[in-house]
Amino acid sequence: MTDWGIAVKIAAGGFGMVFLLLAILSIQVKITSLVVKKCVKTKPKE
Amino acid sequence: MFGLLESGFQHFYWGNALMIVIGGVFIYLAIAKKMEPLLLIPIGFSILLVNLPLGGMMDYELKVKALEAGNVIEVQMDEGDRFNEGDIICQLDSGEVLTPVFGRIDEIKVSPGQHVEAGDVIASIITMQQTDQSKVPTEPIGLLSRIFKFGIMWQMLPPLMFLCLGALTDFGPMLANPKTLLLGAAAQFGVYFAFFMALLVGFTLPEACSIGIIGGAEGPTTIYVTSILAPQIIGATAVACYSYMALVPIILPPVIKLLTSKKERAIYMKPQLREVSKLEKVLFPLITTIVVILIVPFSAPLMGCFMVGNLFRECGVTDRLSNTAQTAFVDMLTIFLTLSIGAAMPAENFLQSKTLLILILGVVAFATAAAAGVVLAKIMNLFSKEKINPMIGAAGVSAVPMSARVVQVMGQKENPRNFLLMHAMGPNVAGAIGAAIAGGVFLGIVG
Repeated sequence: MTDWGIAVKIAAGGFGMVFLLLAILSIQVKITSLVVKKCVKTKPKE
Repeated sequence: MFGLLESGFQHFYWGNALMIVIGGVFIYLAIAKKMEPLLLIPIGFSILLVNLPLGGMMDYELKVKALEAGNVIEVQMDEGDRFNEGDIICQLDSGEVLTPVFGRIDEIKVSPGQHVEAGDVIASIITMQQTDQSKVPTEPIGLLSRIFKFGIMWQMLPPLMFLCLGALTDFGPMLANPKTLLLGAAAQFGVYFAFFMALLVGFTLPEACSIGIIGGAEGPTTIYVTSILAPQIIGATAVACYSYMALVPIILPPVIKLLTSKKERAIYMKPQLREVSKLEKVLFPLITTIVVILIVPFSAPLMGCFMVGNLFRECGVTDRLSNTAQTAFVDMLTIFLTLSIGAAMPAENFLQSKTLLILILGVVAFATAAAAGVVLAKIMNLFSKEKINPMIGAAGVSAVPMSARVVQVMGQKENPRNFLLMHAMGPNVAGAIGAAIAGGVFLGIVG
């Protein structure tokens, strides 16, 4: 017998968790690129 | 032959013949149509091998024990007899001894009148059924069943395959446009939609998770999650996942066309993405590993291997490891993995109504995943000055790089100036990360 309460929690919570985590990664990537841009000065290619 | 050698003919039935035809179709598609030959040839041949009775390639041995003490009244099976799950092996005065799986009798260890204690072995049976080892422990005795047990059921091959995928993946397009991570996330909706649908049609919770994860469109993730949660359906889920990955050029276009106008499909995107520095590419697998595994620990085997493979590729000092992972190692793993998948498809396992339902739910998972990606891309366009072509959302269905290629082809058809491949690769690889996380979430909750 399916416990629909748990099923809804898994579906909603699971999707929410995956979305949130990838959103965090998205922000992390953005922040990393900004920090790297500031910290690293590109050397002119010879 | 002359009473000395038992041939396979007497055990051969229409189910075996049908599976051999299916295996033959796989091999035909691979050779004649060049469809995913690296996958379909070994899968097809392996299907053929396990459907030739008495070949023993995928055999497991199981000792059936008496649950209660009693005297044997009648033995209802002989050595060599075939049986289905739930058939009676023998009758004790304390009750019946049933077969927990399908298979054939190898040896009967009791005779009428004999007294047996609880736990005594009644019969040794041979089966090809995947079982929950905590309830029905089996011992692999065939070549493929050994590879299957130690490669798949011990969860070795899928994470190692992910290591190779990491070495093969360029996260550059995703790092250049981190918004695309959200499109990969949206596409995971397909996983949870299919999960829900699977429950509605009567699958158990662990089975529904294993079916839902097909929507992640990542073969190793599907196999990994199913091997832990529902090994009895691993053949069907793996075949659904790999088949639909090959069929992405057929599944994606109608979904995209249904949800977008011609004008939207023609939205132009600048072909050039910003250049991503080496430092960013090196930092990404390190930071992602820490963040993801801290939040979803059960994704560690897949994410850890995915990211270490990518670090091999990007760090610049492990070229040998990266090259090996991208060539010889991935080929070896492909051989083991695909032979194992085909081996999970003996007729008795595969020809069930469940399998048809899984195949239908698999395509639902793929379609809704693509749809969710497209819808989110359209929503993002409402709030963004620089419009994105909503078709790239459909590439959030992982299936790297097939779905990105489909978007590229469709994009060029609608607007010949458009070159969407690199833009679509962003959500594409994000989808692979999303699928691994979704798998980890399922394992964390249900596993």
